[in-house]
Amino acid sequence: MHPTIRLIVRNLTISINPGFLVWQVIFPVIYIFVAGFAYTALIKSVPFGNITLDYPAFIASGMIGFNIMNSTLVSGIIIWNDRRHGMFEQILVGPFTRTNYILSNVYTIGIVGIISAALITAIGFPLFFTSVQFNALTIPFLIFASITGSILFGSIASIISTRLRSSEGFNVIINTVFLFFAFVSTAFYPASGAPQPLATAFYLNPLTYLVDIIRAGIFGTFTEFVMIEMIVLVSVAVTLFIVAIRLLTKLDL
Amino acid sequence: MSAITARSLHKSYGTIPAVDGIDLDVRSGHIFGFLGPNGAGKSTTIKMLTTLIPPTSGTIEVLGINAIKQPLEIRKRIGVVLQQPSYEPNLSVEKSLEKYGMMWDIDRKTRKERTEELIGVFDLNEIRKRKNEDLSIGQRRRVQVAREFMHEMDLLFLDEPTVGLDPTARRKLLDYLKNKVKTGLTIFYTTHVLTEAEYLCDKIAVINKGKILAVDSPNNLKNTFGQEKTITIHLSERHDRLSELLSGIADCVIDFTTGTNITIQSSKSEVVLSQILQILIENNISVEDLSAIPTTLEDIFLKMVKDSNAPHN
Ligand SMILES: Nc1ncnc2c1ncn2[C@@H]1O[C@H](COP(=O)(O)OP(=O)(O)OP(=O)(O)O)[C@@H](O)[C@H]1O
Ligand SMILES: [Mg+2]
Repeated sequence: MHPTIRLIVRNLTISINPGFLVWQVIFPVIYIFVAGFAYTALIKSVPFGNITLDYPAFIASGMIGFNIMNSTLVSGIIIWNDRRHGMFEQILVGPFTRTNYILSNVYTIGIVGIISAALITAIGFPLFFTSVQFNALTIPFLIFASITGSILFGSIASIISTRLRSSEGFNVIINTVFLFFAFVSTAFYPASGAPQPLATAFYLNPLTYLVDIIRAGIFGTFTEFVMIEMIVLVSVAVTLFIVAIRLLTKLDL
Repeated sequence: MSAITARSLHKSYGTIPAVDGIDLDVRSGHIFGFLGPNGAGKSTTIKMLTTLIPPTSGTIEVLGINAIKQPLEIRKRIGVVLQQPSYEPNLSVEKSLEKYGMMWDIDRKTRKERTEELIGVFDLNEIRKRKNEDLSIGQRRRVQVAREFMHEMDLLFLDEPTVGLDPTARRKLLDYLKNKVKTGLTIFYTTHVLTEAEYLCDKIAVINKGKILAVDSPNNLKNTFGQEKTITIHLSERHDRLSELLSGIADCVIDFTTGTNITIQSSKSEVVLSQILQILIENNISVEDLSAIPTTLEDIFLKMVKDSNAPHN
């Protein structure tokens, strides 16, 4: 087996545990169904582009983006734990290069991200199937979103994990950052009803772009604006990715 | 054949020279002991030899491979137990051995067999299902050392592997290492426990402040530096004039650190001892206990380090 693949297998082994599955699968599912239906009483429908969605469909599609973001926590946690528990050095005195290590983390995020997105799409399908406009772009859009979103948020998680000293609580910090991304975005409620400053803040947040792209894929609302969002998302992802790789390459031993 | 060759190895952290121009020659099939006090530069040397950090200057060849040009080729053939702990917190002991074998591309069947074997050798049976994060420090160290034997290697680096191990575990490990060497393994072993080095090593290098003070076999070190014996005399009470009384005796170093204990190092111990006893008797000083033992490697080590710490000229 190729060294990078061996590291991916190891990454998946150490990260997939009950706690992770609850956070990654059970929580989103409960949220989609409970919040989706509970809030339907308050939010009847959500205007989206030139169509109207019911709230469960809106939130289930937003949850896909949220889940892609969350799955990238995996990489931050792996890097953080490896540094804290000495495995980073141990791997680097083993039959691996730094590039193997970095790539294995990138692929791990990708795998977890795509599987999570697929899972939530499948589970959320009953909620949005009436609004779904399957077309040639649906699957490519979802894959584009998984990959770009994984790289973008994975880079953020990695950057944070390389910047922190071992005494600081990585989990607390990363969860705060990601929670902020989650709630200042259009993942769970539309920008249209929100006060102007908040609606503006939504568009400073990559998660908003991510869920817009996912919804465009699922509900067939591809516009010029979505096109611009895709370009912005890719540019930000590439920039952050380069920064993350730089930091990881220079990580002190 | 030479397993490690290093020339004028330097490593500085800022302006601090951690390793200050050392040469190393480690022969294949040997256990090479690397001894030195805290901060001497042992771990820094190991990190350079294992290609974890680059030297500031100097050359390194490990197993005939240039460490700067082909570090990965070296890493594929060595095993390393670093000084700092390393473990996967949420894996069980047996799973972490198994996964470590997987990381080294060992096939499943061999992995299973080795896991069982090492669990036996390192006494891990009782804790095999326990998670690494729930282990005691010594248990964790045992797992870390055991894990390294999941894969084949030509050369093994051990940075103070026995720290935290109880005497039984320590002895078991040393004997296991001795057996491994018989099958062709070369070991680079750092420690500050002298008895360990003496028991285990074919050659010992003593390092202090980044410089090597001596390299030789344990026996030769003793012969060169330790033709002498250490005499310890325990007096029943303190005598303030003692140092004055004994000051005339030649060919020895006398230490009165505690007042009732006199430690004498001399290569003419018989002569010196009889002179001292005579003086003590003449002055009515009674002796409670007396021993004369050959100077141990530990004494030599302490002396060497002390001498090298003293400012020269
Ligand atoms: N990353 C680092 N940054 C700055 N100084 C360092 C670093 N690592 C080691 N040093 C310094 O280099 C010197 C040698 O350290 P080293 O860890 O090699 O000692 P050692 O012989 O292994 O000691 P010990 O027996 O305590 O493990 C020390 O003075 C130490 O403070
Ligand atoms: Mg050390």
